[in-house]
Amino acid sequence: MSCPSFDWKAYALGELALNDRREAEAHAATCSSCREELATLRLAIDALSALRDEEVPRRIAFVSDKVFEPRWWRTLFHPSFAAACVIAAAILVHAFVRPAPAPALDPVPLQARIDAAVAKAVAEESNSDVNVIEKQLRLMYARNAGIVRQ
Amino acid sequence: MIFREVEDRDLIAKARRGDVEGYNLLVSRWEKRVFNYLLRLVSNREDALDLSQEVFLKAYQNLRKLDDPGRFAAWLFRIAHNEAFSLLRRRRPDVELAGEPRPPDAVPGLLPIEMSLAVESALRRLSEDQREAVLLKVYQGFKFEEMAEILACPVSTVKSRLYTALDLLKTTLAPAILRGES
Repeated sequence: MSCPSFDWKAYALGELALNDRREAEAHAATCSSCREELATLRLAIDALSALRDEEVPRRIAFVSDKVFEPRWWRTLFHPSFAAACVIAAAILVHAFVRPAPAPALDPVPLQARIDAAVAKAVAEESNSDVNVIEKQLRLMYARNAGIVRQ
Repeated sequence: MIFREVEDRDLIAKARRGDVEGYNLLVSRWEKRVFNYLLRLVSNREDALDLSQEVFLKAYQNLRKLDDPGRFAAWLFRIAHNEAFSLLRRRRPDVELAGEPRPPDAVPGLLPIEMSLAVESALRRLSEDQREAVLLKVYQGFKFEEMAEILACPVSTVKSRLYTALDLLKTTLAPAILRGES
């Protein structure tokens, strides 16, 4: 039976601070039951170390291997992929639901059209005046001719 | 150990920046330790290999969640612990219950080739919790505080499991060794 004031398991497992270790060692030098306890513990721990690590039977897959590739559904939820989908959808919607085109501008400038309209109106007006005068003259000639015949 | 930690920290930083080779190097460094820890915990080579793969996959996926890269080892073994106990819970109906009385092992004496068998047998007689405490302390060299972090329990619980396991191992292994020496 070892002395209860010493934690020989912590000592054997290397968990004691340096001062505590020295104190425990000084005690073990004078206490046969603690020496026996420590010896038995060391035997057991040394026996455990007889079990060697095994080599890994086959290589654990690396990140570059297929097993590390994300599942297809994970890809769908990836932010960059989702953003690309939104942009593509916006382009498609824009292509198919395009607003009506604005009316094309007349290639003839507005001022030229106004000028042409004024010129036409003036010409018509002039022609109208000429016709009236021509009619009156013909009427006068006709009357004069009648008088002469009479 | 300090150099290793510094280099791990560097590799973790590289892996976090998307350097695949950085993580591959981390896998190479830790795969043997993780595999052997899992192998002794689940006692099946194929299961241990599958679990190891899963551990490194989860570690890669969650690397950004690792707050302190200096605690990578404890964090990695925490993942391994969770994976192993998840499997053990699924398998539990098929395996012996922890703490159930087991027949005494045939003591193989001290023939060197049989020593590892004696140790394996002694470890199997421990409960899963006790065995894991021994694996983390004796084989992986973690400190009590790190073990508490890995196992998500107080240091006092860690010590209790480990000390009980050592008492059992002492009574199983020490007489066998002494008999073999005589």
